[in-house]
Amino acid sequence: MSSSLAGRSAGVVMNVYITSTGAFLPGPPIDNDEMEEVLGCVDGKPSRLKSRILKANGIRTRHYAIDREHRTTHSNLDLAVAAARQCLDASPLPARSIGMLSCATTQGDMVIPGFGSMVQAGLEMPGVELLTAHGICSSSVMAVKAAVNALRIGEHRSALVVVSELASRLFKSTRYEAAGGHAAIDFNSEFLRWMLSDGAGAWLLESAPRGRCLRVDWIRSFSHANAFPVCMSIGTPTNNQDVRTWQDYPTYAAAEAAGALLIRQDVRLLEQIVKLGVDGALRLIDEGTLEVDEIDHFLCHYSSHHFRGKIADMLEMCGASIPQEKWFTNLYTRGNTGAASILIMLDEFLREGRARAGQKILCMVPESGRFNTAYMQLTVVEG
Amino acid sequence: MSANAKASANEITRPVALTDLGQETLRRLMREWFEFERRLATVPVVRRLDVGTFTRDDYQRLLLNLRPQVVEGSRWISRCASSFDREHADIRSVILRHATDEHRDYEVLEQDFVATGGELDVIRAQPKNPGSEALHAFLMFKASEPNPGGLLGAMWIIEGLGEKMASNWAERIRSLTGCDDECTRFLRYHGHNDDAHMDKLYGLIDRICTSERAADDVVTTARVVGRLYAWQLEEVDSEC
Repeated sequence: MSSSLAGRSAGVVMNVYITSTGAFLPGPPIDNDEMEEVLGCVDGKPSRLKSRILKANGIRTRHYAIDREHRTTHSNLDLAVAAARQCLDASPLPARSIGMLSCATTQGDMVIPGFGSMVQAGLEMPGVELLTAHGICSSSVMAVKAAVNALRIGEHRSALVVVSELASRLFKSTRYEAAGGHAAIDFNSEFLRWMLSDGAGAWLLESAPRGRCLRVDWIRSFSHANAFPVCMSIGTPTNNQDVRTWQDYPTYAAAEAAGALLIRQDVRLLEQIVKLGVDGALRLIDEGTLEVDEIDHFLCHYSSHHFRGKIADMLEMCGASIPQEKWFTNLYTRGNTGAASILIMLDEFLREGRARAGQKILCMVPESGRFNTAYMQLTVVEG
Repeated sequence: MSANAKASANEITRPVALTDLGQETLRRLMREWFEFERRLATVPVVRRLDVGTFTRDDYQRLLLNLRPQVVEGSRWISRCASSFDREHADIRSVILRHATDEHRDYEVLEQDFVATGGELDVIRAQPKNPGSEALHAFLMFKASEPNPGGLLGAMWIIEGLGEKMASNWAERIRSLTGCDDECTRFLRYHGHNDDAHMDKLYGLIDRICTSERAADDVVTTARVVGRLYAWQLEEVDSEC
């Protein structure tokens, strides 16, 4: 069975290669004990949930683009530009010749215009075709896929994908205090405070291989927003009987006081993301797109310990399990940087030099926002 | 060798590895389950449970609508067991044990309803809703076929739901409605999908799915039962 979508299309379709990667993490690594010193104690009291949540996610260090006085040390744009420059510096391709700029972030520095416009200006790239993908973690894969498709059909010969996240500004103690402090916040509104952090990644895509690089075999995603309620969000108030969203309030201050600007995770629904991640993989196996036995490295935005117990046993029994030694993640040391995670992860994976020519890499990005799971297969090639 | 020892030698146990067809069937069944969960999540009463607007009244209506099917549950399982011939005695043993385990479940459900403040006479008088009628009719029809291996698909869905009720619904209902543990014994009781249970299930997959046709029957039955079960729960909102 062909592992490349290119083989299935009738028209002329180009191969696409990731020829360079870059990543940027702001400031020093912040360990678990330092987190609350940076983010601040809500109402002056240490969190009672922090250690429990950190124990569950296993993250040991992360990076923040804010300092202990809550000053922003790097804007989201700064992070994006730094990662993009690192990616471009490693390639002989001049930035001015790149045809497309495809960006993603959960939340830019500005509400409008699109984040891509700001990144383009920051990188001084003239006349690019521009895309800003909107969403959460899987918006990265949307941005990559749009760029890959533009190259596949021959509209461009190169594209730069830049994905950047600056979540820490949402986690300042003052945000929670403005929404009512400890009395108003619950597990769901505190959960992501101990989960997400800042960083950016960039990939350069070209329609011809260049040295040792990665061919993009296929990218697929399956969204289930029709089936489930929102699971990760900003925009609804603490009172779940109130159907207003943040802009329905007379002032932004009123929205903030109602908790409508807090970032929340419906932790009870979170188990669905593991099941849907498995569901998508099974779909790809059954349609012949994914051959699990051929995968040499598995880069997952989710930690392996979520795939344990009964579901791990079932994956094993049905022949869809990827052995633990093939898993690669830097989540525990670089933090969960949302959409940027998979780009940062691949960058570090390649720098470690584990990938050998001919090997296949499966990337998986599950997004809990309203349940989108994305998959991408890459093959290491020698240009 | 005694008769008992012989029987245990033929007992259905966890295979070291499933056959290729068994693996494929398990993958298909897993996808049917995930599809069922998605379908379930759009059923109004389940959506209220997920978004947190589920009330004690919802819970009473849920129990009222579940009972008729639970009462009939033991009938299709018993019928299913008796439809397996001597060549399939090992499967029949598994099903019979299962039927014995569950045939008085509805009494627990009735007591839960009473504990929520409902009247015993009311829940006993509740007829099947249209979804329950269709589900029961389908299960009895399948169970009446000779060697109804396809019903493994029905067990997959119904037992999976039992586990979901226990692990996912019971505590949620308690926290949203203020009902105490006395009111959710039926839901919690079904969380018996333990390792031994899964081992039996893997064994049954290999035992039953010996041809593409048999495997298709299992998967199709799972799909039909999932849809009919979702319909049964949709009717909770029609029975006000």
